[in-house]
Amino acid sequence: MKDQKELAMELEDEIFNDGLPKAYYKHNENGQYVLETNAPWAEKVSCALIIAGNRANLEEIRKAVLAGQKSPLCYHMELRQLDPGMLAKAAGMAVFRVKRHLRPDVFTKLKPSVLNRYTKALRVTLEELKTVPNS
Amino acid sequence: MSSEVTAAGKPFIHHHSAHCESGTTSALFRDKGVEISESMIFGIGSGIYFGHLPFIKWVGLPITTFRSRPGTLFAKASKRIGGKFFTKKYHSAKKGMADLRRVLSEGHIVGLTTNIYWLTYFPNRFRFQFNGHNIVVLREIENGFRVSDPVLEYPVDCLTEDMERARFARGPLEPRGFMYYAENVPLNPNLRLACIAAMKDTCNMMLRTPFPFVGIRGMRYLAKKTISSPDKLGFKEACRRLANIVRMQEEVGTGGAGFRFMYAAFLQEAADLFASAELAQLSKEMTAIGDIWREFAVVSARIIKQRGQAEETFAKAGGLMLICAGREEQLFQELDRIAKKLQA
Repeated sequence: MKDQKELAMELEDEIFNDGLPKAYYKHNENGQYVLETNAPWAEKVSCALIIAGNRANLEEIRKAVLAGQKSPLCYHMELRQLDPGMLAKAAGMAVFRVKRHLRPDVFTKLKPSVLNRYTKALRVTLEELKTVPNS
Repeated sequence: MSSEVTAAGKPFIHHHSAHCESGTTSALFRDKGVEISESMIFGIGSGIYFGHLPFIKWVGLPITTFRSRPGTLFAKASKRIGGKFFTKKYHSAKKGMADLRRVLSEGHIVGLTTNIYWLTYFPNRFRFQFNGHNIVVLREIENGFRVSDPVLEYPVDCLTEDMERARFARGPLEPRGFMYYAENVPLNPNLRLACIAAMKDTCNMMLRTPFPFVGIRGMRYLAKKTISSPDKLGFKEACRRLANIVRMQEEVGTGGAGFRFMYAAFLQEAADLFASAELAQLSKEMTAIGDIWREFAVVSARIIKQRGQAEETFAKAGGLMLICAGREEQLFQELDRIAKKLQA
C-alpha cells in the first residue's frame, strides 16, 4: 500500500515539475486578486490519478497486442487518446471499419493504402504503426 | 509577463493568464490599445457556467464543465465591447494556412482555435484531445510560428506542421482552422454597458434554464449523482468520475475553483467601475463560494487517496456541492437584482 502511495507522489512531482506552471487567481492580503503559479494539491492528486489510469490502460493494451488479442492500431489510438469515432473522422473512414481494424487478424491483412490513412491521422510511421514498443 | 515583437514590429507584452479564451481575447484588445484585463473579458463574455452532460462521454467519462461553450466567450465579449473582428473557418487546410501567413504579414496578431493535443510545446499533462484551445500567433519564424499561449508564462515557438495539425484536427467541436483578429476596436469602449448586459445574461444562463443538466439545476443534479455514485458504479469508477470533476474544476485553465475566483475578480473590477458596494460584497461572496469548491476538491482528493476514510465520504463531497449550488443561486439572484438597477 505504501509503495503505491509513494509511486503516486512521484508521479505528481514528475508531471507538475515541468517548468511550465499555470496561473491561478488568488486573494492577497489587500483583498485584491493576483495571479500565482502554485498548483493546488487537489489538482495534483486528481490529475495524477487520471494520468496514472491512462498509462495503466495503455500498458494493458500493449500487453494485449503482444499477446495477439488486439491490433497495434488499438495501441496507437489509445496513445493519441482517441476513440474509434474520432479516429474514423481523422482517417476519413467509417467507424465500423475502424472498430474492425482493431482486431489483429483483420489488421494484418490491410492494404498499404488503408494503413497510410492511419499513419497520417495518427502521425506515426508505417513501421511504428505495425508494431508496439517492447517496454 | 514578457516582451515580444509582432510581425508589424510593434511591441507585444505577453500576460500570463489562467484561461486560454479570455487571455487570447484580452491580448487582441490590448494589442489594439484597449487596456482590459483577463477577468474583465471573462465576465463580459459571460464565461461562468455550470453543466454536467452525462450523455456525452469523453474518454469514457461524462463531461462536467464550469465554463460556457468554447467560442461563445470570444463572440459575446467582442460583440458587447463593440470591436469589429474578422472571423473565418476553413474547409481547406492549405487555404487556412495561407490566409494566416497573409494576415500576419499585414501586421495583425491573430487568434486561433486549436486542438491542444497536437501543440507539442505543451508538457504531457496538458495534452488531451480538446478542440477548444485558443492561442495568439505573433509572427512567422523559420519553419514555424512565434506563439503567445496565454496559459504559459512565456511566448513559445510552434512548428508549422504542429500548427496545421492542431488547427485542422478532427473530432468533436472541430476548430476548422478558426481564425480571428481585430480589424477595428473602439479606443474607449463603454464597459459599463457591456458589464450590465453580461451580468444579466449570466444570471439567465445560471438560473433560468429549461434543462436539468446545466446551471444551478445541473449542480444539484451532479451533487445527487455523486452521493449515490459509489453504490451504483463501485468505488473505483466513482473515484475516476470524481477525479474528472476535480480535474475539470481545477486543472483545465480555470484559474482555480472552476472559474469562481476569476468571476470574483471580475465582480471586484466591476465594483470599482460602478463604484458599487453591493458588487464588492458579491465579489467577497463569490470568493467564499470558490473556497467551498476548493474544499470540495480537497475532500475529493482525500477520498481518491483514501485518507481519513471515516469522515471523507462521497456524501460529504456531494453535500459541499449542494451548499455551493444553494449559495450560488442566492448570489446570482442578487446579481440579477443589482444588474437591473445599474445605470450604464
